[in-house]
Amino acid sequence: MGDAARGPSAAAPPPDVLRLAGVRKSYNVGLPSEVEVLHGIDLSLRVGEFAALIGPSGSGKSTLLNLIGLLDRPNEGSVFIEGQDTRTLTDRQLTRLRGHRIGFVFQHHHLIGAFTAAENVLMPILVDRDRPDAAMQARADALLERVGLLPWRDALVGTLSGGQAQRVAVARALAMEPALVLADEPTGNLDTRSADGVFALLRDINRASGTAFLVVTHDPRLARRCDRVIEVVDGAIVADAPVVAR
Amino acid sequence: MKRWMPFAWIAAFRFLREGWMQSLFILAGVAMGVAVIVFMSALMASSQANFLRRVLSAQAHVVLLPQEEVARPLRGAEDVIADPRVQRPAQRLRSIDQWQAMLRQLATMPEVIEATPVASGAALAVRGDASRSITLNGVEAESYFRIVLIPENMVAGQTRLGTDDIMIGAELATQLGVGIGDRIRVSAARGSEATLTVSGIFDLGNKSVNERTTYVALRTAQSLLRLIGGVTSIQVTVADIWAAEQLAGRIKALTGIKVESWIATNQQFFTAINAQETMITMIRLAVGLSVALGIASVLVVSVVQRSREIGILRAMGARRAQVLRVFLIQGGVLGFVGALIGASLAFGALRAFHALVRQADGRELFPLVLDPWLFVAASALAAVTGVLAAVAPALRAARLDPVVAIRG
Repeated sequence: MGDAARGPSAAAPPPDVLRLAGVRKSYNVGLPSEVEVLHGIDLSLRVGEFAALIGPSGSGKSTLLNLIGLLDRPNEGSVFIEGQDTRTLTDRQLTRLRGHRIGFVFQHHHLIGAFTAAENVLMPILVDRDRPDAAMQARADALLERVGLLPWRDALVGTLSGGQAQRVAVARALAMEPALVLADEPTGNLDTRSADGVFALLRDINRASGTAFLVVTHDPRLARRCDRVIEVVDGAIVADAPVVAR
Repeated sequence: MKRWMPFAWIAAFRFLREGWMQSLFILAGVAMGVAVIVFMSALMASSQANFLRRVLSAQAHVVLLPQEEVARPLRGAEDVIADPRVQRPAQRLRSIDQWQAMLRQLATMPEVIEATPVASGAALAVRGDASRSITLNGVEAESYFRIVLIPENMVAGQTRLGTDDIMIGAELATQLGVGIGDRIRVSAARGSEATLTVSGIFDLGNKSVNERTTYVALRTAQSLLRLIGGVTSIQVTVADIWAAEQLAGRIKALTGIKVESWIATNQQFFTAINAQETMITMIRLAVGLSVALGIASVLVVSVVQRSREIGILRAMGARRAQVLRVFLIQGGVLGFVGALIGASLAFGALRAFHALVRQADGRELFPLVLDPWLFVAASALAAVTGVLAAVAPALRAARLDPVVAIRG
C-alpha cells in the first residue's frame, strides 16, 4: 500500500494498547519487612508492537507482568488497558477485562490436564460464555490449525510434547482475540529448536493479527528478534529502545 | 464436551474423571455410609410398623370407660370433715351411663372409623377338673372384629358368636383340652354360670393373651356379668392413629367419662421407640459426618492439587463464583452418585436380610416396608451433605490468588 493510499491516518502513531503511569508496587505494606519492588514505572505499548522485557532474576519483571495482566493491583500509579484506567475497576470488572483483552502464555504451558487440546484452546471463551457452542469449537479448530496442531485437537494435553503443549497454550492465549498477549518466558522450558518454533509462531501471529506482545525472556538471541527491548533492573526501567535491524 | 452443559459442570465432571481413583474411593465411602443409613432406617421403620400393626390389631385406638369411683371424706354437721382418712374404694364392675347416646355421638365424629360396645369382666372357665381364670369379653362381633382383627388370627373354627358360643385363645384351648364344638362351663365372678360351645380358637401371638382372652356375644356377657343392658367400655378406631390422644381429650371433654388412647396405654412402647430413634439418629449423624468429612478431605486435596489450574482459569477470566461452583458441584455429585449406589446396596441387603433372617418356624421376621421416599430422601440428603462438605474447599479454591496459584 502506497503512502497516498494511507491518507492522513498514516501519519498518526498507533494507539496505546497498554500504558503504565507512575506504577509502584510494594509487598508487606505497613510491616517492618515492607519492600518496594517497582519504583514508579512509566511504560506504554502500542497496538501491534512486539516488545521484549528483559532483566536479571528478582528485578521485578514478573511483578510488572502481573500488574499489566491485571492479576495484581499497584500501590500507586495507574495501568491503562486500551485507554481504560483500571484503578477504579472492581475485581469482577478486572477479571472480565483480563479475560477479554489480555492473553497469557506462561513458561510452563499450564494447560488443564483434564481437557483435550481443543477444549483447552476454547477454555477462555467457555469461561466467558459459560456454555460451549459450535462457533466456539470452530474457533478452537482454526487456532489449532494456525499453530499447526489440528490433528491433535482431541488429544489430552498430557500426551503432547513440550513444544506442542506450548503451541496449544499460544492458541489458547489468542482465543478471545486479545489486544495484548503477555508471555512469561514462553520458551524457557523448550529445547532450542522448539523455542525457535514457538517464538516464530508468536512473531507470525503478531504480524498477521496486530496483537501486541510483551515477552519476558532471558535469551538475548530472542530479545533481538523483537521490535523493542525494555530492560528492568532493581524495579526500574533502565533501558527502553527499539531493536536496530541488522 | 456437552453443548448444553455450563462450564462449571463440565469442569467438575472432568476433574472427577481425571482423579478417578480418588473419586472411586470416596464414592465407595459415601455409598457405604448411605447404605448403612438406609438399611438401618428401613429395618427400623419395618420393625416399628410391624410392632404397631400387631399392637393396633389387638386393641382399640381409643377406649371409653366408666369414671372411677371415688370415696369422699365423711362430713359432719355444718360441713365439717368428721373423718379426713379416706380409703380408696374397690372398683365395681359398672356400666357406662347413657352408652347408647355416646355411641351415636361417636358415630357422627369424622375422625372415628368404628365404635363398638364391650361388656367385659373376670370369669372362670371350667372343663372337668381343669379351670382357668379368663377375661370374658362380650362383643358385637361384626363391628368389634373390625377393630380387633380376630378373623385374621383364627387357628380353628369360625368367628361366629351366637348366644351359646365362645371363642377362646389357643393356649386356653390347650390347657382346657378343648376343640371346636366342645363345651366349657363359664362362671362369672358374680355367681352367674353358663355352658358355652367353643366356636373358634384364635392366636393373637402372645401366650398370656391367648391364655386369658375369650369372646362371647354381648348379650351373653351382659347376662353372665349381671350388667343387663350395660357395657363396661366403648372401643373406638380412628382414621389418624397419631391423633388418638387429642381425640381422646376431646371425647373426654364431651362426655365427662374416662377416655384412654392407645398412645397413653402403650407409653412403654413409645419410650422404647424414642430410645431406638435417638440411637439410630446418633448413628445416622456419625455416619453422615464421616461421609461429609470424607468428601471434604478429598476436595481439599483436589484444590491443593489443582491450585495452579485454578489460577490459570482465573487468569483466563473465570470468576470466583464459577470456581466455587466447580467444587460445590463435585461435592454434590459425589454425594448424590454415592447415595444412589448406597441406596441400591441397601436395597439388596434388605432383600437378603428379609430372605435369610427368618423366625424359628420359617415365617418372615416381619414384613419389609420399603418406602421409596427413604431412598429419595437419602439421595437428596447425601447430595446436600456433599455440597455442604464442599463449601470450605470450594471457598478456598475461589479465594486463591491467581498470582500465587500460578507461581505454585
